[in-house]
Amino acid sequence: MSSGQSPAPLPYTDERHQMAAQFLTEEAHLLDTSDFEAWLGLMDRRIRYRMPVRVTAVKAADEVDVQTMHHFDEDWYSLRKRVQRFQTDYAWTEDPQSRIRHHVSNVRTFEGSDDELIVESAVLLYRSRGDRTAPSLLSAGRTDVLIPTEEGLRLRQRDIEIDESVLRTQNLAIFL
Amino acid sequence: MAAAEPNGIADITGAVRQGLIPAFLYNDAEVYELERTRLFGRSWNFLAHESEIAQPDDYVVRNIGDDSFLVTRDSDGQIHVMFNMCVHRGMQVCRAERGSARTFRCPYHAWTYKNDGQLAGLPFHADAYGGEAGFVKEGQALLRAPSVAIRNGMIFASLDPDAPHFETWLGDYAFYLDFYTGQSAAGMEFRGPQRWRVEANWKIGAENFMGDSYHTPHTHASVVDIELFGEPKPYKRKEGVLWHAGPGGGTTYKLPPGSDFRSGLAYVGYPDEMIDRMAATLSPPQRALVDEPGFMPSASTLFPNLSFVHNWPQTDAQGRITPFISVRLWQPVGPGETEVYSWFCVAADAPDDYKAASYKAYLMCFGSSGMFEQDDVENWVSITTMARGSMARNLLLNNRMGLTLDGDPIVDQFEGFGGPGTAYQGFGEHNQRHWFSMWADLVSQPAPARQPMAFGMGEQPA
Ligand code: FES
Ligand SMILES: [Fe+2]
Repeated sequence: MSSGQSPAPLPYTDERHQMAAQFLTEEAHLLDTSDFEAWLGLMDRRIRYRMPVRVTAVKAADEVDVQTMHHFDEDWYSLRKRVQRFQTDYAWTEDPQSRIRHHVSNVRTFEGSDDELIVESAVLLYRSRGDRTAPSLLSAGRTDVLIPTEEGLRLRQRDIEIDESVLRTQNLAIFL
Repeated sequence: MAAAEPNGIADITGAVRQGLIPAFLYNDAEVYELERTRLFGRSWNFLAHESEIAQPDDYVVRNIGDDSFLVTRDSDGQIHVMFNMCVHRGMQVCRAERGSARTFRCPYHAWTYKNDGQLAGLPFHADAYGGEAGFVKEGQALLRAPSVAIRNGMIFASLDPDAPHFETWLGDYAFYLDFYTGQSAAGMEFRGPQRWRVEANWKIGAENFMGDSYHTPHTHASVVDIELFGEPKPYKRKEGVLWHAGPGGGTTYKLPPGSDFRSGLAYVGYPDEMIDRMAATLSPPQRALVDEPGFMPSASTLFPNLSFVHNWPQTDAQGRITPFISVRLWQPVGPGETEVYSWFCVAADAPDDYKAASYKAYLMCFGSSGMFEQDDVENWVSITTMARGSMARNLLLNNRMGLTLDGDPIVDQFEGFGGPGTAYQGFGEHNQRHWFSMWADLVSQPAPARQPMAFGMGEQPA
């Protein structure tokens, strides 16, 4: 969890929690329907989108100390390139497209500094390709920083904690 | 020989040496077994880079085939490569992937090993064994990798105690290796690896990086289209020279006309201070490769399964071009599955700003999320799936690009290429054939039987 949050999550009845949860659901819908342009529209221009490589470390060690690498460490430029690539006619890996579903759950919303919301969630990505290979699953926790704007909430930062040290999916031509 | 006729190993290697690849080689249990025992059992395998265990007591755990190895830097700074199996009853001694430790205690019965492998203690040595009378503790250690060599900070091991001397084996490939991991006297820094499993045969990635410049314009059309990396255009790719030398080979891009060593490196995005360092570490013949007529190394493979890539994409919206280097291992898991280990690699004393941009370049292009790699792997998984069936048993794939039916090269060897070995300009499968000839040499030779070793029994008869 990022620092600066309140110790307890906002109650489910809090409108800010409801807005955050709806944001994540709508975002998942955009990804599941390949509306990447609209998905990019949910990003603040200062977006940091990160997913470190998980390392199997002994309990006594802090895993973060032995992490040296990311799967994703994206800013606006690189996220936009990734989206543009899917929009070309030559992104073969996703033509035919994977059938994907983001299952988002365990949403906990915390008050951040200023009007930011810190939102934790779990995501399970189901992905099946073609008709010959077995589907793959990716499970991850996410910690997001959402900022309110006139157009609604925008994603300022996402830290993804993937639940595998060795990914069992052929590539990350997906977003979590 | 296990494989049934007419697909016996002599037929297979015979076809391969003619540039014809029996399609089932990409997904066959018997071929895989030969590769495991005869090829990986004897070749030099990359394990780790020294920078991954930079401090005394650092360690990483890495595999060669099914064998787990503990790669440590001991408290005195010496590097050791040890089989990660407790010599008591076989438990995996270290189950973490990396960390720092002076000793390793086996989880089963608590035998303890120092990080140089020496057996430091076993509980109840006197009570349980009667001390040295029952188990000679003195001098016992984890089993060492039979052969170990270090080059440019890269740690290699062979399971074969009679492996060819590493430097002799590496031969003229060393000339090219320096472009990837000899960029600075301060050494390189390896980050990672990213690890992921793909349902693809391990050979496909190795061959592809060795010399497949032919796939780039099509497979990677999307990254050209979005202006991430402009070089793989068909007309540019075919101006490149394919070279093979010693146990490896690779691809190059032709630099713009009139380039010299400095301007060629600047063209791909190296800052002045890094060019200065490369000018100091690379020899005059190495510098001449980049100098007029001007070739820049791109992808490469060192047999059997270690590959390198050097590309120079655009890393920000302002159009900054930044090169990156990735080192990757195609670690077989089974006939139809590979674990990819992909490291980012950068000169240890590169400016921070450069390191950050180069890291970004890597993440965008290669590795688990890389936009090049995404399309590559899709192809390789598909080949592996197709290779499993019955039809593939009777199909010989064509690996003869660049040769006439009579076996003559369609163009002469390229004169004036700065590097050693064999070089051809334009498209061709010369390097893949070279890779497969090494493959054939190993899989056709039975591995010699080895004497088993016992522990705790005192001096063994020779
Ligand atoms: S197996 Fe390791 S101490 Fe017994
Ligand atoms: Fe490729």
